Amino acid sequence: MASLLKSAFNAIKEKGIRNVAREIKEAGFLNCLPDGNLLQIKIHNIGATLVGVDKFGNKYYQNMDNQYGRHRWVEYGDKKRYNASQVPPEWHGWLHHITDHTGDELLMLKPQRYGIEHKQNYTGEGDEYIYHSKGHSLNPGQRNWTRYQPWEPTKTDG
Amino acid sequence: MGLGLLALRASRTSLLGRSSSAISRPGFESGNPNFNLVRWIISTPELQKPEAATASEPAAPPPPPPRTPVGGARVHIEKPEDAIEVFVDGYPVKVPKGMTVLQACELAGVDIPRFCYHNRLSIAGNCRMCLVEVEKSPKPVASCAMPALPGMKIKTDTPIAKKAREGVMEFLLMNHPLDCPICDQGGECDLQDQSMAFGSDRGRFTEMKRSVVDKNLGPLVKTVMTRCIQCTRCVRFATEVAGVEDLGMLGRGSGEEIGTYVEKLMSSELSGNVIDICPVGALTSKPFAFKARNWELKGTESIDVTDAVGSNIRIDSRGPEVMRITPRLNEDINEEWISDKTRFCYDGLKRQRLNDPMIRGPDGRFKSVSWRDALAVVAEAAHQVTPEEIVGIAGKLSDAESMMVLKDLLNKMGSNNVWCEGNGMNPQADLRSGYLMNSSISGLEKADVFLLVGTQPRVEAPMVNARICKTIRATKAKVGYIGPPAEFNYDHQHLGSGPQTLQEIAEGRHPFCSALLSAKNPAIIVGAGLFERKDKDAIFSTIESIAKQAKAVRSDWNGLNVLLLNAAQAAALDLGLVPESENALETAKFVYLMGADDVDLEKLPSDAFVVYQGHHGDKGVYRSNVILPSSAFSEKEGTYENTEGCTQQTLPAVPTVGDARDDWKILRALSEVSGLRLNYTTLGGVRTRISTVAPNLVHMDEREPASFSATLAKPETQQKMSKEDFGVAVENFYMTDAITRASKIMAQCSASLLKK
Amino acid sequence: MAFTMRAVKVPPNSSSLEEARKRTFDFFRSACRSIPSVMEIYNLYDVTTAAQLRSSIASQIRQNASITNPKVIDMLLFKGMEELNNIVEHAKQRHHIIGQYVVGNEGLVQDVGTKDLRASDFLKKFYSTNYF
Repeated sequence: MASLLKSAFNAIKEKGIRNVAREIKEAGFLNCLPDGNLLQIKIHNIGATLVGVDKFGNKYYQNMDNQYGRHRWVEYGDKKRYNASQVPPEWHGWLHHITDHTGDELLMLKPQRYGIEHKQNYTGEGDEYIYHSKGHSLNPGQRNWTRYQPWEPTKTDG
Repeated sequence: MGLGLLALRASRTSLLGRSSSAISRPGFESGNPNFNLVRWIISTPELQKPEAATASEPAAPPPPPPRTPVGGARVHIEKPEDAIEVFVDGYPVKVPKGMTVLQACELAGVDIPRFCYHNRLSIAGNCRMCLVEVEKSPKPVASCAMPALPGMKIKTDTPIAKKAREGVMEFLLMNHPLDCPICDQGGECDLQDQSMAFGSDRGRFTEMKRSVVDKNLGPLVKTVMTRCIQCTRCVRFATEVAGVEDLGMLGRGSGEEIGTYVEKLMSSELSGNVIDICPVGALTSKPFAFKARNWELKGTESIDVTDAVGSNIRIDSRGPEVMRITPRLNEDINEEWISDKTRFCYDGLKRQRLNDPMIRGPDGRFKSVSWRDALAVVAEAAHQVTPEEIVGIAGKLSDAESMMVLKDLLNKMGSNNVWCEGNGMNPQADLRSGYLMNSSISGLEKADVFLLVGTQPRVEAPMVNARICKTIRATKAKVGYIGPPAEFNYDHQHLGSGPQTLQEIAEGRHPFCSALLSAKNPAIIVGAGLFERKDKDAIFSTIESIAKQAKAVRSDWNGLNVLLLNAAQAAALDLGLVPESENALETAKFVYLMGADDVDLEKLPSDAFVVYQGHHGDKGVYRSNVILPSSAFSEKEGTYENTEGCTQQTLPAVPTVGDARDDWKILRALSEVSGLRLNYTTLGGVRTRISTVAPNLVHMDEREPASFSATLAKPETQQKMSKEDFGVAVENFYMTDAITRASKIMAQCSASLLKK
Repeated sequence: MAFTMRAVKVPPNSSSLEEARKRTFDFFRSACRSIPSVMEIYNLYDVTTAAQLRSSIASQIRQNASITNPKVIDMLLFKGMEELNNIVEHAKQRHHIIGQYVVGNEGLVQDVGTKDLRASDFLKKFYSTNYF
């Protein structure tokens, strides 16, 4: 504890109190106050190795001292609204003990031509994220079931 | 495979195998049951030792009951002494001399599997799928190439024949990709069907399959050459039927492949037929690729209207969409081929369609209105002109019913100025022989000299051209051609390009006369493009004098033919759609265009009221004041008469688009709105009315030959032939009418294939 | 809201025509009150307006204006209540509402008037469809 305080003092001395406060806020320590889950992850992170960070800012930790099966975890980049669908597929395998390759290694396998960007699941986040089938009247690109193309008088003749 | 089954199999084979010299099976003799897990490739154990199986067979079973011939095949044996008797599976069958074993089996009701054999093409005998056992023959014989001999005992379902088929099938499948799920032929594939029926349930091939580079055969035929089994049907079709030597076989052994020798497109107007004859998915339709599966489609037997031949087609539709068009067998008209225009025009049925009645407002813009308003406007306009100023023109694609109603309606309005486009302003409709193909399309095969006057059958009627080509291949008939320089796919002499040459032949000054006069059955084919000429009567009388000299019109042979251009022409002339005055269009105030797009509307007075009734927004629409949408040939029941006088009908395959109505119904409704009610309300009623005018038009699928010959009592014409050369009747084979002009595929074809 | 209406019980019979009449108006009012939410849940803004729906309901009620038997009126009211309940509970789909209350029973007939009275059977059919 003393060393922790000491390093904190050193940091304040080096960067100034404002910068340290901002760093603490950005790392989500303030959110720990209402969010115990985040707090526990922060405590967990002490002594763990940071394996990688993906482009969404999610940090992947590993601590081999933990019980097997609980030794890998993620600290989400978004400190306010986080859920499991924010983990991109390349890190999913590592996080769920499917593979020992980290996401950065697996990213090389991503197909260039048809591989699409990872998108988290926005269910419940608003009307624009509701899925509507092709024929639904609320689908902006509602499918037209006409199987022929009519002649357009205006297009050709004034 | 369970162990028990394996053991059973092993013990069964051992029973058969032990007696004679069995294939040595390590482990079986040792008695170790685990050793039986060696993977044997034996589908039917008996097939391993067919000799043993036959030997152990009991005495010959009694002959099976007679079977009906495959596909209802019948054979006519002209001289009874030419008949020979063969035995197929013990059942005696009489066949004419010269028939192959395969045909004899078909007559006996046994369908022999085959890939390379096609009864309209020459025999190649290279697929070996049709192997059968013949008694006293040391090896199985390829039945398609073996002539049947008297007393031959053919066995088609013995173990030897079965093993032979299984072996051939295994070799064929060796290099054939297993891509049936993504293959367009899937579901109608000969290889798929026959491997289910005759193939083994496994293969022994473990190496890499070969692959072949795809060829570009143009915008119509898609190639996946890896699937090709080298049956050479397409090569034989191209050389024998289409008459172009574009395709060929390259390489030997496993390097053997079909291709155009140099990189080029297939330049035939019949190229689509290779899609049908290809037994696998190597050649498939490019526009149809990945659009539908054949079991989803509904077939409707119909008639093609893009040219005057009236090829029999099947319209395959899914829901409201025409998905593809395939040929239907009709020996007298199109055999089993159709032209590319017929086959691929269908996407034009989905584009540029008129779907609502429209009226041109005072600002020159079209506005959609209801049928009630549109018909009221038309009736009002018709009442404001004098009867002489009313003109009706039927289009190329009109059916007989609507032309009848159009004529009746205009006659009731007091006008008789009604005609069909393409027939010219002065058609001769009195004698049917003057506008029909009198020797019939199949009759052309009897001709030995052809004289083509102002016609290029290759672009005007490809199916007639295929007949001529077939005749020339079979009998080395001579062809003389008068007209502008054109491409032919058979040997021909270009005699000249205008009426002068015709005059020379008529006067006997031309070298071709000797061939014409010495011919037994000369066939003179006159193009309907001449109908539009001013000196048409003089030309026709010259042609008649040539026919008289060449004795082309006899009681047993009528070789004076007219080749029409459009599907509606023959029926229009039968119904008497003849304009009253030649200058009707110049003075017209009310013009009713029933799908007529190729009329010269420039001549029309600017204040004329034009009604366009049709299914496509094509040339005729732009001058019109009112548009009445009607149904296309795939959506209605209509009668068409083809160029040889055969009456056929289309059947609706898909529903009409939008608010369109059938042609004759629109005219019938208009007659009522304008207060001139016609007294029929059903299609049957219209047909009864037709039967009083032209009874031959109600006898479906019958050819009604012309009853009087053209030379009979014809007034002498005082016309002189002009020196003007014959013109080209069809500029672009792929785009001749409203449907084909709307088609994207046809546009691609004319862009890539007609490139000079 | 939907679940409050589900609790609607069969009310006791109306004792007189007056009472039945009053109940009819009550029903019409409650139907009118639910129109905004119906428009919302079935997304009807681009096909109709509240006034049109209101007049459509009113015309359906007027269809039975000649009935004087309070028992029959009660029965019809109950049916109407049930229908309203189904609509408000989203037990129906959008095209049901459009078919029954927006387009109406006449379907897509273009303009019904007295113009066709003298037309023949053929012409009447011709105006409506190609298939007859």
